[in-house]
Amino acid sequence: MPEHVLRVSDLETSFTRDKREIKILRGVNFSIRKGEILGLVGESGSGKSLTSLSIMQLFHGTTGKIVNGSIHFNGHDLTKMSESEIRKIRGKQMAMIFQEPMTSLNPVLKIGKQLMEAIEMHLKLPKNESKHHAIQMLKSVGIGRAEEIIYEYPHQLSGGMRQRVMIAMAMACHPNLLIADEPTTALDVTIQAQILELMKKLKEENETAILLITHDLGVVAEMCDRVVVMYAGQVVEEADVFELFASPKHPYTKGLIASVPKIGDNKEVLESINGQVPSPQNMPNGCKFAPRCNQAMSICHQESPPTVKISATRQCSCWLYVKKDVEVNA
Amino acid sequence: MTSPTTMQNSQVQNTQKKYSPLKEFWKSFKKQKAALVASIFIVLLIVVAFIGPYIAPYDPFEPNYDALLEGPSASHLAGTDEYGRDIFSRLIVGAKISLMVSFSAVFLGLILGTILGLISGYFGGWIDKIIMRSCDVLFSFPDLLLAIAIVALLGPGINNVIIAVMIFSVPSFARLVRGATLNAKENVYVEAAQSMGASHVRVLWKHIFPETISELIIFVTMRIGTAILAASGLSFLGLGASPEMPEWGVMLSSGRDYLGTSSHVVIMPGIAIFLTVLAFNLIGDGLRDVLDPKIKNN
Amino acid sequence: MPNSILKVENLKKSFQIAGGLFQKKQYVNAVIDVSFEIEEGTTFSLVGESGCGKSTTGRLITRLIAPTNGSIIVDGKEVATAKQSELKHLRQTVQMIFQDPYASLNPRMKVKELIGEPLEIHTKLSKAEREKLVLEMLEVVGLNAEHADRYAHEFSGGQRQRLGIARALITKPKLIIADEPVSALDVSIQSQILNLLKQLQQEYKISYLFISHDLSVVEHISHYIGVMYLGSIVEIGRKETIFNEPKHPYTKALIASVPIADPTLRKKKIVLTGDIPNPKNPPSGCTFHTRCPFASDICKQAIPEMKKINEEQSVACHFVN
Repeated sequence: MPEHVLRVSDLETSFTRDKREIKILRGVNFSIRKGEILGLVGESGSGKSLTSLSIMQLFHGTTGKIVNGSIHFNGHDLTKMSESEIRKIRGKQMAMIFQEPMTSLNPVLKIGKQLMEAIEMHLKLPKNESKHHAIQMLKSVGIGRAEEIIYEYPHQLSGGMRQRVMIAMAMACHPNLLIADEPTTALDVTIQAQILELMKKLKEENETAILLITHDLGVVAEMCDRVVVMYAGQVVEEADVFELFASPKHPYTKGLIASVPKIGDNKEVLESINGQVPSPQNMPNGCKFAPRCNQAMSICHQESPPTVKISATRQCSCWLYVKKDVEVNA
Repeated sequence: MTSPTTMQNSQVQNTQKKYSPLKEFWKSFKKQKAALVASIFIVLLIVVAFIGPYIAPYDPFEPNYDALLEGPSASHLAGTDEYGRDIFSRLIVGAKISLMVSFSAVFLGLILGTILGLISGYFGGWIDKIIMRSCDVLFSFPDLLLAIAIVALLGPGINNVIIAVMIFSVPSFARLVRGATLNAKENVYVEAAQSMGASHVRVLWKHIFPETISELIIFVTMRIGTAILAASGLSFLGLGASPEMPEWGVMLSSGRDYLGTSSHVVIMPGIAIFLTVLAFNLIGDGLRDVLDPKIKNN
Repeated sequence: MPNSILKVENLKKSFQIAGGLFQKKQYVNAVIDVSFEIEEGTTFSLVGESGCGKSTTGRLITRLIAPTNGSIIVDGKEVATAKQSELKHLRQTVQMIFQDPYASLNPRMKVKELIGEPLEIHTKLSKAEREKLVLEMLEVVGLNAEHADRYAHEFSGGQRQRLGIARALITKPKLIIADEPVSALDVSIQSQILNLLKQLQQEYKISYLFISHDLSVVEHISHYIGVMYLGSIVEIGRKETIFNEPKHPYTKALIASVPIADPTLRKKKIVLTGDIPNPKNPPSGCTFHTRCPFASDICKQAIPEMKKINEEQSVACHFVN
């Protein structure tokens, strides 16, 4: 039995708007093993980013709150911890990098200062050692002129450099889990390739588990060991990355993979999925994907499908895979 | 797989009834209680200003030497002044003058300032520099001092007060609209309109001016308050309405000799000015909460 | 040889970034030297990373900004030096589709006003006639008549991009410049829009100048491709040759950097080292030499010329013959 760094069970998160509670995550389940890259895939509105914020419990300034479920991190349930306990874990054992590094770096502090602050706070190192450690970290993310960079401000760096700094900052305390929310979406492809290589290298060196949140199936195919596909606040399919791309099971996953143009296959017309993601205030009954699904049956519009275990490594929430003769406990 | 032209149309969110900007506005404005009360007050004031002469209990110009400087009572709600004229009636009739002066001054300032601001912000370059530097010159004088100087130049009188208040309003409007124009110009749809071949006038009128409206509405209401104060101030100094007119500033001015003995002569017009200015500012604040895009987005 | 709808030659644009009355003026060359041609009914894509000048090129052709130098011939007419008032022909022949369907549609206008606006500008049609055309156009892009009275914000991203396409299409232009038209959209929606663009091209014989950073999308939609780096085209040719036999080291690296949505094709990439240089301070000689794995002394000194290596491909590199 492999060791789970993170296990999310039945996670439900909601926002309050005009005194009405709107559920965005409606029962999310997945887990990450040590040293594994798990891809969390979905389109806008699927709840993938909110999942990461729920794990980090970063809701400040919003009405978001976890209403149900548990998040076990290294065996402890984060949902039962106090704010101060979580703060000790956040940044040290569990770190996060965002799509736009500029928003998560303080624009008026020098790079070195920001890095050293994180190091001093979590590793309790004296000042001169933390500076040395900061330079070491910057070098390990491929920044050659680390000694100069620590005296520069974030805006003096390019997008790729900033993302490297963010990664250095996240990796500074050797976390068990790194959550990367669209880490390369704002970057150019040649820079994206550099950053992805870097993340792979760091993962191998430190055995860090990575939760990679992205909409880009190319990045998923390139990076991940396993994949969780989300749609409308739920996990619809979970599989090993090779299995998923070779034979996607859920109609949504199928549609998603088919709609990506691939270099080299000269399809005249791309497949596409009709319609769009339903808004949280306007969720259909039954399976949330049924209105867009070309294989929808009558039951799909009435009842939510159960999660069906297809093999040891994969499961899928779809009525197509529910055996007729088996009693269903949805 | 589906061909795009046969796409389902169920996609548009059919959640709400027809979207109407005016309804949306009213829905949020209703929640601004203070502004709502203030608006009711202003609407009443405007009604009073129109029908004033017909509802005033006394002739506002008729002296009554039997009732000099009487305090507020049942027969004279706001008391009488040094000639025995009913202050309440004079306030009612004076509302028209105060509102007319401030509305027309602000309105003229709005038109001129908006045109200058749009041109300045949209075209930029030397024309922007000329307009903005001229505004800076006007800005460098304190508002009231500028107005006094203008009236001193043109001679006293209500019309010249309007011109004076207008002139000192123009630069604030121009600067506001220029800022909003610079923002609006960055919108991609402005570039889209230009790429379609829309003329400058069309781009300004259809795509940029509407972006400035909400800020303008907020500013106009605030500005009317300022204009009332300025007009009253000028009249108080003897530069505005002639002394027998029931203008609020004039009343304040002629009553100040009796401040020690019959303070109501000053207090009553003071309250009228205070309440009106406050009401306009409250409306402005309320409108800002509802309309200002910077606040709305949060 | 089919007719060319657009012919761009030696296009150059420099922006002033600093200086004025008392300071020394400083310029940045956003577009250094761009030449290409688009045949009627085909799609030409400009592809490159941020700061390569692809969007600026698009805006130069629509004359939203004036070129510093060079020639732009749209449908037989020179527009590079024309005054704003002489551009009516251009404005009718060329329309644009923008990246951000949220920002490129005026939120205060109803759909029928939005889409009808080009007609209002260019034709003398009555309001009723305009509306009739708008309704027809809504059908063409996969929306319907009941959408005409709504505001843009009531639509999803994909539908808004359909509105943008309808607006571009309504004057029956010969060339549409599409600046990253699908990069703000989700993949499943992106494919709907790409299919629509292709279908419209066949129906109306439109040419596209497609500007994008996404090579997979470019490969799907284009007939010809120009690869840009720091203001210049470094390689240009038929799509098939560019993707199958890229010659310029930058093109090779760019194609290799794209993650493929197939885990069985994972490969060690030619990862380019270093950052894209700042266009304000471009490298000497071949601008790519700072990142090029094959760079030698000549690359630092001389700017490589564009060489035609076969009927379908031209490359600007010292080492390609």
